[in-house]
Amino acid sequence: MVLFTLFAAMLKEEWRVHSALFGHLGFALMPFTLVFFAALGALMLPVFTLHIATGTLVSVTHLAFGLMGMTIGAFGLMGREAMNRRFGQASMIAYASRTLPVSNRAIMAGFFAKETLYYFCFWVLPPVAGFGIASIVLGIPLHWTPIFLISLGLSFLFGLSAVFLLSTIYAHSRRALLALMGLIAAGAVVTLGVAGIPVQALFPPLAFFFDRSAGSLLLSLLASGAMAFAGIWFVKVEYAGATQHYPNSFRPLIRTLSRLHSPHFVAKDLLDLKRSEGGLGKILFSFLFPIGIIWLLLEVLLFILPGLNALAVFAILLAAFSTTIYNWLTEFDDFAPYAFFPVTAGDVIRAKLQTYLLLNLIPVATLVIAAAGFGQLDHLLPSLLAFAGLSAYAVAVVVYCAGLQPNILLYNTRTLLSFIGMVAPAMLVLIFVSLPDPRLVAAGCVLVLPAVLLISRGERRWSEEEQRLS
Amino acid sequence: MHTVISTTDLSKTYGDVTAAKSIDLHVAEGELFGLLGPNGSGKSTTVKLLTGQIRPDTGSMRVLDTDVLADPVGVRAKVGIIPEQETPPSFLTAEEYLQFAAHIRGLENGVEEQIAFWFDLLEFGETRDQLCKDLSRGTRQKLMFAQAFLHEPRLAIIDEPLINLDPVMQRTIKDYLTDYVQAGNTVFLSTHILSIAEEICSSVGILHRGALRYQGGIDALREEHASLEKAFLALVRTSGMEE
Repeated sequence: MVLFTLFAAMLKEEWRVHSALFGHLGFALMPFTLVFFAALGALMLPVFTLHIATGTLVSVTHLAFGLMGMTIGAFGLMGREAMNRRFGQASMIAYASRTLPVSNRAIMAGFFAKETLYYFCFWVLPPVAGFGIASIVLGIPLHWTPIFLISLGLSFLFGLSAVFLLSTIYAHSRRALLALMGLIAAGAVVTLGVAGIPVQALFPPLAFFFDRSAGSLLLSLLASGAMAFAGIWFVKVEYAGATQHYPNSFRPLIRTLSRLHSPHFVAKDLLDLKRSEGGLGKILFSFLFPIGIIWLLLEVLLFILPGLNALAVFAILLAAFSTTIYNWLTEFDDFAPYAFFPVTAGDVIRAKLQTYLLLNLIPVATLVIAAAGFGQLDHLLPSLLAFAGLSAYAVAVVVYCAGLQPNILLYNTRTLLSFIGMVAPAMLVLIFVSLPDPRLVAAGCVLVLPAVLLISRGERRWSEEEQRLS
Repeated sequence: MHTVISTTDLSKTYGDVTAAKSIDLHVAEGELFGLLGPNGSGKSTTVKLLTGQIRPDTGSMRVLDTDVLADPVGVRAKVGIIPEQETPPSFLTAEEYLQFAAHIRGLENGVEEQIAFWFDLLEFGETRDQLCKDLSRGTRQKLMFAQAFLHEPRLAIIDEPLINLDPVMQRTIKDYLTDYVQAGNTVFLSTHILSIAEEICSSVGILHRGALRYQGGIDALREEHASLEKAFLALVRTSGMEE
């Protein structure tokens, strides 16, 4: 009974947090947006499968849902810091074991049940529904839709359960977690790489998709159940740890960055990135996944339009993905900590853009490496110009649409569609401009002009908005 | 005496809630002015209005001879502010945060001495190299206090500055504020703790449901009602009955 009460309260709380952040309608529409885009993506399946093996596509999709389960679980368990920035001192039910007469295990069990049901409804059901709609158009037998629902749901559950177990191990011993991760990585290399064992042998939800047997279903449920049970049973909330001390890095950074307009803001941003979970490496890591997607898209695009230049298209796609850097810069920051200083939201945005510019060296380096890899160093300059223009324009659109809160507002359906509606046409135009001659992609640098205009309007808009909303 | 804060017909509503209702407020230079009121009476909204963090629906304000509506950033540059709830950025250490605050305010000379002074006065130097997110609430409050006075402002607008602090530290801060005012500066202190106002304030304003029910000397109130508490309760209850 207690467990159910906790579960129901947490479910309600999760909905209220999201609707407070994104707006009731804005967030409620998100699953429908996902259905739409999933259906669009699924309609491309005939093109994808011409070039990529169906088995590979299926495996990647299941692994992506497992990864999504891990990401959602990780944010739920470790996202208190981000919540504190949004809501002041967040006091959610999951953190209330000290004040409620319920055990940590009961709270964790309720939390796990809530995460499973809530995010299954928001992140698993809609994409599968989109696939279901597309499968009618494509003539794919309808029984594949419920099979996908079960196997992708199992993948999501597997990832979620795994992160619960890993976070519990982390709470007991960071070294044990590192050792386990090392073992998992080594095991994966040996079994997948050396012994050539197929990936489904290590990932039961995928095995279920391929053989659809009761045994695989049971194995998948048992594996997730065992991980979740262990994570909940051995849960440890009191993290033992000595207070950490840090040398003063702000002062030397200010000196290094002294030529910039607001070195103090840039130094703070860099320290935020370095000292938050994952360190500076999370920017590099967050690029690996998009670059994988870019590569996949590139393969398909080059297949559809053989006249395209790989480097030019890579630069265009890379520029659009670079806006995730701005999202990182605003992850733990909003205007509230600056509201009582002599600055406007526009000043803070401008400073964030300086850091964005600095960190764009990462995608620029990626582009240079790609140019060498493609053997197209002669096309590097036009591609760099296109990258610079589009990266500036895309981040300007983010600034205009979402100000200092892209991590929140881009989950609002209307804002997300505005962003896509403003960036996608620019990307398409550049791709088509590059068709006759890849050097023409350099024309993308003119996007700097609308970028400057949008940034200026965005700064004004969000400065006024902050005064209105505070 | 020169007026450092003046408002005329200041009003602000949030949906159906009236947070400030036609407030006419005047604070003279050299005063330690206490803005008192029950929870939810509009004190923090008034602080945000005076420091240009939010715009009023109607009315005008001047702070240190600057029109707040025309130049909110200019006002915040001159004034020292402690907000009610905001915590310092998570991933800077205490010392780095004060250096960051000094940079935002464009301070160049004597910053390190100022920072050392505040670590010493508020006795939290041992936390200088710890991240703000790991600091206790009391230490964060000390940090917020230090950042507000780092640039030695002529006027400090401070919202509940003593919450989360132990009695010893409360004494230190009350003494500091008293000395600060005696040196010719002005403090606008928002609090719901009457004993603090009774002890250090020279004049008070009493807010209830967004309206200013009283403004004047604290002694005049005491003479009429025997104590500040009795005066406060009488004003709040009377205004409640009127509505």
